[in-house]
Order: sequence, then C-alpha cells, then structure tokens
Amino acid sequence: MNSKRSLAVVLFVLAALSVLAAPSHKAGTPGLLPLYAWGMAGDTDLDPVEIIDKVDRMMRGESSQGRVEMTVVTEHWTRSLELEIWSKGKDKALIRILAPKKEEGTATLKVGRDIWNYLPKIDRTIRVPSSMMMGSWMGSHFTNDDLVKESLLAEDYNIKVVYEGVRNEEDGTVWELELLPKPEAPVVWGRILIQVRQRDLMPIWSRYYDEDDVLKRTLTFHDYREMDGRLVPARFRLEPADKSGEYTEMVYHELHFNIDIPDRKFSLSQLRR
Amino acid sequence: MLVLKLGWRNLWRNTRRSLITIAAVATAFFFLILLVGMTMGLKDQLLANGTNLMLGHVQLHNPDYLPDRGLYDTLGGRQGVDPDLSSQIEEKFTAVKAAAPRVYGFALLSTGEHSAGAQLIGVDPEREARVTTFLNTLHTGQPLAAQAQGGILLGEGLAEELRAQIGGEVAALTQAADGSLGNALFAVRGILRSGLSHVDKTLAVVHVSDLQDLLVLPPQRIHEIVLSLDDPMQADALTEQLNADSELPEQVEAASWGDLSPQLRDYLAMFESSYGFIIGLIAIFAALGILNTMLMAVFERSREIGTVTSLGMLPEQVLFSILAESFFLSLIGVAAGLGIGGWAMNYLSTSGLDLSRWMGEMAIMSTRMDPVIRFQWNWEMTSWAGLTLMAASILAAAIPAFRAARMDPVKAMAAAKGV
Repeated sequence: MNSKRSLAVVLFVLAALSVLAAPSHKAGTPGLLPLYAWGMAGDTDLDPVEIIDKVDRMMRGESSQGRVEMTVVTEHWTRSLELEIWSKGKDKALIRILAPKKEEGTATLKVGRDIWNYLPKIDRTIRVPSSMMMGSWMGSHFTNDDLVKESLLAEDYNIKVVYEGVRNEEDGTVWELELLPKPEAPVVWGRILIQVRQRDLMPIWSRYYDEDDVLKRTLTFHDYREMDGRLVPARFRLEPADKSGEYTEMVYHELHFNIDIPDRKFSLSQLRR
Repeated sequence: MLVLKLGWRNLWRNTRRSLITIAAVATAFFFLILLVGMTMGLKDQLLANGTNLMLGHVQLHNPDYLPDRGLYDTLGGRQGVDPDLSSQIEEKFTAVKAAAPRVYGFALLSTGEHSAGAQLIGVDPEREARVTTFLNTLHTGQPLAAQAQGGILLGEGLAEELRAQIGGEVAALTQAADGSLGNALFAVRGILRSGLSHVDKTLAVVHVSDLQDLLVLPPQRIHEIVLSLDDPMQADALTEQLNADSELPEQVEAASWGDLSPQLRDYLAMFESSYGFIIGLIAIFAALGILNTMLMAVFERSREIGTVTSLGMLPEQVLFSILAESFFLSLIGVAAGLGIGGWAMNYLSTSGLDLSRWMGEMAIMSTRMDPVIRFQWNWEMTSWAGLTLMAASILAAAIPAFRAARMDPVKAMAAAKGV
C-alpha cells in the first residue's frame, strides 16, 4: 500500500514534470521543477486526489527564474541561444533571448493558452494563432503547444507501472510508467512511456508515441544537480524520432525558486521592454 | 477523264436533289467546323484558366522540391543558380514566351492581435506579370513595385482574417534558412481577388528579394522558375527537351502543366475525346444522307446503266463514274460548308459567343469560366472532319456503285421497264 502511494506521488511528479519541466521546459517549466523536491520529501501517505490538490496549489504559488542555454541541431544548421526564463504558477511564463546579439531581446510570453512573440528588430508583438500551435517554438524541436499545455498528465492519462527493477547499475531501481490517454482527453500523444529512478524520483527519459503507436520523440534527462537547494536535471535533450541526428538541448546555468515576481512581469508591455 | 466527266454531268441531271444533298453535306460540315471551333475555344479557355493564373505552362524546380516545398530544396541545390537564369531561358528557347523566378515561404503574418499563417510568394513583379495573371487580380490598392520596397499584396480572405488595411502594415515571422526567427514588416499595397477561395485565403505576395531577405536566402537561391509558352500544347515537348539535353543546370528539373496538374490534363483529354465522338456522329449522319441520295440515283438510272454497259462500258467505269459523282457532291458540299463556316468562325473567333444571357457565371473544375466562348480555328481537326465527311460520302456511294457495276445489263434494262 505504502509503495503504491508513493508511486502515485511519483506519477504525479512525472506528470507535472513531463508536461512542464520537460517538453514545455522552454515555457518556463522551472516553475514545476520544485515538484521533484516535493516528491522526494516522500509525502507518501496522501491519496492521489489529495496529491493532485496539493500539487496544484503548490504550483500556483510557485515561481522561478533561470538562465538556460538552448542548442538546436538540425540537418541544415546548428545554433545556440542563451535564454532567461521567468515563470509563475502553471500558466505564466516569459522567455527572453539574451544572446546571440542578432536575436537579443526576442521574447515569448505565455499567459494561459495564449502565446505572444516579441521581435525587437521590427518592434512588433505577434500573437501565435491556434492554427500554429503545433509549429516550432523559436526554431527548436519544441512546439508552441508544448509551451501552453497546462493540463496535468494525471488528468488526461491513465497511468500504470509497466516495469520496476534495475535497468543499469548507475540508475539503480527504476520505474517505467505507461500513460494512455483517457477517452475524451484533448491530448496530442497516443502513448507516453516514462522512466524514473526510485532513489530520488529523477526522470531518466520519456518517449512520446502518436495514435498509431509510432515513436515521435524522445526526451532524455541528464546532469542531476542541486540548484537553489533542489535536485533537478540541469540538462535535457529532445530528439525527434523521424529526423536522425537532430535535437534540441537545454542546459540550466542558473535556477532560482520561489522568488517574488510581480504579475505585471507577464504582460505585453514587459514583453517589449 | 471520261469517268470524271460522266460523274460531273450526272450530278446535274437532278439538280434539285443534288443541291439538297450538297446542302446537307454543307450544313453538316458547317456544324462540324463550329463544333471543332467551340471545342478548341473551350479547351483553350479551360487550359488558360488552369494555367494562366499561377501554374504557368512549364515549371523548373529542384528535383526534391515537390511535393513538400522544402525551404532548402532550391534550384541548383545549395549553390543555387544564376539569378538571371530566367532571362537566359527566355533567350535560349524560342518556344518560351516569358520566364519568372519565385521563392516560397510559409510565414506567420500579424497585424497585432490578428494573426494568420500564409504562403508567401516572392516574385519579380515585371517578369511574373508576363507569365501569369494572379498579380492582375488586384481588387483594390496598388500593384507591387518593380523593386523590392517591402510592399505586400494579400489575398482577400487573408486580408480579412488579418483585418489588414491598404496602407497598413503586416509583420511576418518565419523560420529562416539559418535557423533564426526571420521577421520583417511589410506595407500592405493591395488586395488580390483571384476568385479561388483557397488561394485568396492563404496567398501573400512580396518581392522576391524581400522574401529572400526574410528567409535569409542569398539571391541565387530560388525555388521555382515559371515559364509561359506561345503554345501551351508544346509544354510536354519543351519539358522533354529541357530535361533530356542537359540544357538546364545541375539539380534543375522541368515539369509541364500536365505533369504538375494531371487532373487538368485528364480533364482536357476527356473533353476533347467526348467532342471527337460527337463530331464522328455528325459525320456518320451526313454520310447516311449521301448514301440515300446515291442509292436513289443509281436505282433511277438502272436502265441507262444497263444500256451503257451493253454498249461496251466497263463495269469499273460505271463504278468510278458513280464514285466521281459522289466525290463532286461531297466536295461542293464541304467547300460550301467551309465558306459559311469560315464566315461564322470569323465572327465567333473574334467577338465570341456570349452565353452569359443563358448561363450567367460558369465554373468548370472550380475555376471561373468566361461566359463568352471565343471559337478557335484548328486546321488539323477541321481538315480531318472535312476529309472524314468526304470519305464517308464516297464510301456510302460505293455500295450502290458496286451494285450498279455488277448489274446484268439485260436484267437492268428489264427492271427499269418495270418502273
């Protein structure tokens, strides 16, 4: 029973993680990173509903700020961007490009389901229409949709453990969880597999499959480090399955939690700054 | 010679009947000419509607470009091609009337709160106007300037979606070739109304250099060269020539309008063959009329044929004199038909046949049809129709002619008495 409960906690963490920390990381997912730490705390006596409730409240109160280096490698070009990310709650995020010079000041604001891009060269703010949600975000392999997704995996997917044991010495005992969408869930994926190590609830990878159960992309986590007192994967990499050799990698250089960010930070006027 | 003379003279022994038959042949040929003229006119119009707006008659691409229209699959690959390739092709191939370069890019257009995805086409306005007509579908505003000045033309539906006004500005955001977030501001110069909703909803036209800047592509990298020909039906032949003789730079491939739009090619072929069938039917009816006349003529002349045969006229001479009669009959008929047909065609090919009173706006294959059909001479088809008509007439006369030639003189004369 106890292990089942802690599993639920893990699942939840994963859910949040893969929604926010992972694919939407660029979205300022750091806001959710604290969840890892929370999971580690081992509040294993909660039932799933309580857990969700607790995490929801926790997330809403959560905020973060960080510096990330994003490297995108495609068949035709490779480029590296330095980003600053602010997030508050699960629905607000602001990302600004610090380097290279050519794109400095380019910024993305996410509030709820809306995304705006600010382009300093032309000094204009462009709202991303819903028809472009599956389009690439800033030339990376992440989509705009990854950025706005707010629902928790636990709400949209039925989750079960499909493996528990040791895959390799380094990671120790791991869980592998299979997420299948609930019948009415408005989700993009047909199936998600996530591997998590039991020791500290750190995710190792997650794999995303489409409705035909074809692997579309893989997210891998690396460099687990303490940042601002919490253990987080400081580097993660998204690889599309259909374009071999291409990937987008994010590396956290700096990350702070629970800092006071005024709401006006996430406004169009601040976006232009 | 005697045979021809006999045939000619026989023709005028029953002037009224011969004239009626000649009139029948003439009328048949007249209608055939008009039918061919209308078929060709409609076909030309269908083809023009299908190709003139945007498709052109021949297009050059990187072999990998279609159907995905990848940003990097430019003519000549990574090195690109001479930016003047269009004018070189124009000069080198006499069949080519004009050639124009194009660059394509998908971009997010925005006027602030209102955004929409659009297919940006970069054109050389002067060249494009000589190849296709979509720049002429300007509904309001100004055309694009010949030089790159940051102007943009929007399809009507797209302009509505963006709430864009002439004189206003539109921001464009796209994934540039170097991976950066290409962005630029364009001034709305005009609104296009092509009449094709899928085009008007997504089409945005800018100068080719402006689009290359936005996409971070150098001037030598273009996606397409569109050619228009004097005779669109030569497109396949030219395409073959271009591809076969390594007339084009590396990684440049030609495709004709028929290759690019097989449904248009199929539709025209179906259209042509169905009219060919009708033309064949009319020729058969005309031939039946002649058959009737000739049967009567021979039957009437049984006694006379018996007489000339018994006087020593050879059966072949009898046969050929009748065939000659039929030949003259159809020749005069076809000539008369050509006369009135030519006169009518002269009018219909210049002024056209205005059907608007009866059908209003017509749309075939989802393209708007001009309700005025301009008939088109097609000498090949017209000659074939005339020859078919004459051959049918002569063949029809052959049956009674053979019968006459094989007649037993005695019986023939006796039979005549009975009449």
